[in-house]
Amino acid sequence: MFSKRMSSRVAAILVAALLLATMGLIGCAEPEEVEEPEVSERETVKVGVHTSLTGGLADYGFAAREGIKLAAEDFSGFVVDGVEYDIELVILDDKGEPAESPVVAQNLVDQGVVGVIGALTSGNTNAALPIYEEAVIPMISGSATLPDITEEGFDVFFRTCLRDDLQGAALGEWVIELGFERAVVMDDRGDYAVGLGNEVQATLEAGGVEVLREEGQEGDTDFSAQVANMRAFDPDVAIFTGYHREAGLVRKQMVEAGMADVQFMGGDGIKSDEIVDEAGGVENADGMLSTFSGFSPDDMPGFSEFADRFEEATGRPAGPYAENNYDALGALITAIVDAQSFEGADIIAALHEIEYQGVMGSFGFNEIGDIEAPDKTGIDLIPRFELKGDTWEYIG
Amino acid sequence: MIYALIALGYTMVYGVLEFINFAHGEVFTIGGFIGATFLIWVGVDDGTPLYAKVLYLAAGFAISVVLTAGLGWLLERVAYRPLRGASRIIPLLSAIGASIFLQNMVIVIFGSQPVIMPTAVIPSGFVSLMGVRVRVLAIGIIVLSIMLMVGLTYLLKATRIGKAMRATSQDREAAEMMGIETNRTISFTFVVGSALAAVGGVLVAMYYGSLKFDTGFLYGLKAFTAAVLGGIGNIPGAVTGALVLGLVENYGVGLTLGWLAGLVAVGLAVGLYIQLWRAPNKRIAILAADGRAEEYRERILRLYRLAPYHAVKTVLTERRDAVLRLTARHAVRLTLGNVFLSGMLVAFVLNAGYQFSSKWQHAISFIVLMLVLMFRPSGILGEHIQEKV
Amino acid sequence: MSRIRNTSNAPALPWIPRWMLALAALLAAAAFPLLVEYGVIQTVWIRVGTRALVYVLLAVGLNLIMGETGMLNLGYIAFFAIGAYTTALFSSPRFGFEVPFWPLLVMSAGLAMLAGYLVGLPSLRLRGDYLAIVTLAFGEVTRYTFNNWESVTNGPGGIPGIYRPTVFGYLVERPIEFYYLILVFVVLAVLLVANLKNSRVGRAWNALREDEIAAEAAGIHGMRAKMVALVISAAIAGVAGSLFAYYQQFINPTYFVFMQSVIIVCMIVLGGLGSIPGAVLGAVVLDSLPEFTRQSFSSWLPAIFGRDFMAGWPDFLRTFFLDFDQYRMLIVGLVIVVMVIFRPEGLIPDALWRREVHQEDPREQEHTLQTLFDIEEGKQDLEV
Repeated sequence: MFSKRMSSRVAAILVAALLLATMGLIGCAEPEEVEEPEVSERETVKVGVHTSLTGGLADYGFAAREGIKLAAEDFSGFVVDGVEYDIELVILDDKGEPAESPVVAQNLVDQGVVGVIGALTSGNTNAALPIYEEAVIPMISGSATLPDITEEGFDVFFRTCLRDDLQGAALGEWVIELGFERAVVMDDRGDYAVGLGNEVQATLEAGGVEVLREEGQEGDTDFSAQVANMRAFDPDVAIFTGYHREAGLVRKQMVEAGMADVQFMGGDGIKSDEIVDEAGGVENADGMLSTFSGFSPDDMPGFSEFADRFEEATGRPAGPYAENNYDALGALITAIVDAQSFEGADIIAALHEIEYQGVMGSFGFNEIGDIEAPDKTGIDLIPRFELKGDTWEYIG
Repeated sequence: MIYALIALGYTMVYGVLEFINFAHGEVFTIGGFIGATFLIWVGVDDGTPLYAKVLYLAAGFAISVVLTAGLGWLLERVAYRPLRGASRIIPLLSAIGASIFLQNMVIVIFGSQPVIMPTAVIPSGFVSLMGVRVRVLAIGIIVLSIMLMVGLTYLLKATRIGKAMRATSQDREAAEMMGIETNRTISFTFVVGSALAAVGGVLVAMYYGSLKFDTGFLYGLKAFTAAVLGGIGNIPGAVTGALVLGLVENYGVGLTLGWLAGLVAVGLAVGLYIQLWRAPNKRIAILAADGRAEEYRERILRLYRLAPYHAVKTVLTERRDAVLRLTARHAVRLTLGNVFLSGMLVAFVLNAGYQFSSKWQHAISFIVLMLVLMFRPSGILGEHIQEKV
Repeated sequence: MSRIRNTSNAPALPWIPRWMLALAALLAAAAFPLLVEYGVIQTVWIRVGTRALVYVLLAVGLNLIMGETGMLNLGYIAFFAIGAYTTALFSSPRFGFEVPFWPLLVMSAGLAMLAGYLVGLPSLRLRGDYLAIVTLAFGEVTRYTFNNWESVTNGPGGIPGIYRPTVFGYLVERPIEFYYLILVFVVLAVLLVANLKNSRVGRAWNALREDEIAAEAAGIHGMRAKMVALVISAAIAGVAGSLFAYYQQFINPTYFVFMQSVIIVCMIVLGGLGSIPGAVLGAVVLDSLPEFTRQSFSSWLPAIFGRDFMAGWPDFLRTFFLDFDQYRMLIVGLVIVVMVIFRPEGLIPDALWRREVHQEDPREQEHTLQTLFDIEEGKQDLEV
């Protein structure tokens, strides 16, 4: 009996110690900044930021938030009906969970935001859209690339990124241009990767390229089964349509299996500097090709300046979709000024008419809310990059 | 092969405590993180001389093993020991809680981004084995696993503490009476299991070049599958199971449905027959063994106290007729099962040309896990522990 | 020995009857949207409340197999997924079907039950921990199937645009209407489970949980009783899934990840295994706590104490409360470990479970009994 009581007391002490340790660790974690809107005589207007700051895509969420913050600084002080307005951002995190997304959306609606930038992923956008649609609050996403979203007939939705079907077609056409005849298309079973992969495969098959489709799972580390299948197929090119972490591992394991000479390509998910380390160093990663679902740097005159400012503000290089999110807020505010109104319906009407000039260059939106550039259309919009050494260079 | 190292941890804990240490996968992740973080911290790069690299790597393994073994000890002390003697489900819940806690701890401490192992410490050579290119590291891992397995077997069979572990697993109370400090033995089991997981974690980080906070979850499950496949509680079984699972995962994807159908159908048929024939026999044995009837009477009475409304009206000896009826019903089910299986076989054969896409990879291993647990829970090489009623 | 019967089946709060507490809880739940209607709290609480009610349904359902019958199920979300996908496929533009509410609800529940039956058939005879792993594998296989079977489920892209249901000729559209619709089903489920609990099969479940072999020897058909529990709880999850799909209007496979199963298990452990009020409380607390913390520290407390009320606080406390989401799962894990060690019967314990987990040492029990016998027979005096 005695020993039993003792052990539970010891356990109590240990649990308490563990609790304290946890608290301490939390303290060590980098404290998040608290939004402190400036106190001023001018009016403020709330804009919602619906993004994912925790969960698997937290780095994308961080880039989006910081891009939007920069835009909020730049666009504050716009004038509607002779009154000057400042932007107050209401930043909420949906944790990357679709079940949390409607709650975040409702919360933003409750707080009376005039427009929303987000959501980060297509799934969470789909989960939140019915709520914004009902409240007639315009929603502009900088990174929800799933083609279906604008096809579903929602009035409030716009996006400043290019669709996966466009990028997939461009990626496929590029492969055909390069003269490859046997291609492996691989995805990670996520919504983004599968959509993009299907589009690439369809384009390739239409162009007479022989395709082997392989699929891994997001979060996996071992792709030896897929790599073995690839080897048996003996491709000229491997196209991975998922994110950089898995892409790096696939590339590494391909090289280890003796397929170093197979060209490695991917979509915007692999266009990250981290892929170099994840693929096991420069010698494995060098020469990778990728497309991107934003405009090309040539068409984005303000981009280098933006990238510098981003790095200055955050200490990190401008992350993926930071500029798309910057311009999402920019377009929203411009539409508000054009409409001279904070009514959702007026802003939406103005967004359809807008000719916006921002970091990404000049663009507008078509009738279903997809981004439109004045001079280029279709797959010409999609920029191409090559990984030279350890940096991605724009090659046209 | 890495599965084997983790599976050994599961098997050991299960062998001694009959308890699935759900947090073992997380212990593995933390081991890998500690090793990788240490190597990043000392700043190994290509310029480091070879002897220093080896030294750093050894130090990385040592630190990871020590800290992770300490974590294993702490885990047992805090989360499992106070629950010893509680019903089966409760320590398992505690293990799940500990697993979630540790996984999120990794996020809080190391962040949600993967940790990248410095490439300098990863042997990059290849050797050609029977025409197949194999990484030196892979061979190293296999050799290390076999060495650890042999060492562990020696530890269990020939040393004092090994004997204590076996005694504890047979009958804790009796072992205690014989003067074995069971608490210390169990702690030791956790320490050894966690140390093995740490080695596995560092090796995985080296083999794949990086490690993420949620890597351990899937590895833990796969390793558990391997342990069960080989017969849980059985050390050579864990290694065999790991090998079989690895083969199924890598080659199962390439199999056509026709092949798989054959395997599944045969497996199902054998399993079903065994189950159907064994179950009633077991029940008869239980009830007919008059020598043990007293024991059951005791247990029924205890139940009676816990659930006072449930009147126990039937006397044990009256159950024999019921057993006969049961057997008849099982015969009917056997026939139905046959019809069902033949139908399935025909359906599969009709679709025999369909090849599995690699997207079903994990689904296949989970299905293997389900089938093994359902139809042959004692695994390929048999369970080390005897069933305790 | 059986002379001393422990018949104490006393409620947690002995001075108020349980049914009154239940009624009070129901009234509170029913009145809660009024706070929103009259603008005391914001509309988002309706959404939080509705989602919490879905989790209540799941927790009550899981409690049936886990709490009552003692089978740990780590793949419970699979039944929820089957219900949700059935509804999504048959009431959305995906294939152009629009099956009315009631038949579809029955279909969703029915398919979940069928899945429960098929998976239970070979697996229910397994030991508790093996069963847990089999159910975990089942849950994952189900999710992979929905994720991979693109021609039917649209794979990871999910199914958007699920139609609003029409219940008894009334189109359910606003969040508040969904809240009451789901509340009705929660009440039905609670009544069902509460009745089952005290029925013949309920007692059989408890007996199986305490000692399976003894229970079987005493004449309980273990397999059948367990199967009834599994199938009923699968049906509850199927209904919950169907309602959830109608409410969200969009589903994709990421809703049904393994962590969700674990969270539901956590809700029950927190509330108390085998206890219906416990399951309800656990679900409500765990589901709404993050939002509650967020609202408290970002709007309510600042409104009361002024914007800078946290200025003097240590950094880590501020971080902790402002970024509570990040630490939610950490806390959940810790809470489970602490709960099972120090209060395994949960916050609102079930009488039988309490006795089970706080079992006295058998030797001591014997001693107590012996003492009681002795006192009864006058061999020993009652100590004062």
